[in-house]
Amino acid sequence: MPTGDVSSTENEAGGFRVAITPTLLSVYAWGYWSPEVADAFTREATAIGQKLMRVSAFAVDAAEMKPQGTEGQEALRVLFKVLATMNVAKGTLLANNVFTKMQIVRLLRECGLDQRVSSNT
Amino acid sequence: MASGDEEATQAFYALYEALDDLLRGKGTQKMNGLWHHADYVTSSHPFGDWARGWAEVWATWEEGAAVWSVYRGHAERTDRIGGIHGLRVALRGDTAYGTSVFRSKLYMTEGELDLKVNCTDVVHRIDGVWKVVHHHADQAPPAWQARIGQMVQLGHS
Repeated sequence: MPTGDVSSTENEAGGFRVAITPTLLSVYAWGYWSPEVADAFTREATAIGQKLMRVSAFAVDAAEMKPQGTEGQEALRVLFKVLATMNVAKGTLLANNVFTKMQIVRLLRECGLDQRVSSNT
Repeated sequence: MASGDEEATQAFYALYEALDDLLRGKGTQKMNGLWHHADYVTSSHPFGDWARGWAEVWATWEEGAAVWSVYRGHAERTDRIGGIHGLRVALRGDTAYGTSVFRSKLYMTEGELDLKVNCTDVVHRIDGVWKVVHHHADQAPPAWQARIGQMVQLGHS
């Protein structure tokens, strides 16, 4: 994870860590998000728009993330919609769980961000 | 009155009927009702890892429905998308497990996409009703998983 502006939330089931450098937004997500973790991510994602004026790329490391329920999906949508409206040129997705990858790819497509993202498994 | 064996067997077939509904875009309500909503339930599908606890298990069924919402190969077909064969049920008190082979046939733009995986399911009799507490299917071959992933990426089958 790059250093910089870092925030994180977690519980025993899952969590996330978000780091912002002058050029890169990095999201490391793992496990299954409870509604509380999803709410924290939504707040973070909402605030990200004001912090990312010069960020040109983003990376989502979901290698240890499980497919999310309604709240987790909605939290990810908030981030992807923010990124879709910004001048972020490219993104990368790392997902080992095929189900998780399908879910994130679907959410990226729904948010109009899929063309900017390459995925690695 | 049906025996425990017969009731458990019906519960196993109902699970795969609910799966067929889910794949056909007929909703997840039937699937939801068949499961015991508890922390100890578990599932693993032809792709992905273990889901443990009802929240995780349910997320995978809902995502399955979302994945197949872009599949259009069933629009004009009258046969089932898939089903189990050779079901063998072992009943022990209020628990039964079933072993079977799930076969499905998907019609993709380039032709048929077949799947054959072994499955194990467990049902518990809870307050007189057989509820699913465990579902496991073998991992699908990488080529099959990749084709489904491509379907999700493209947004159509």
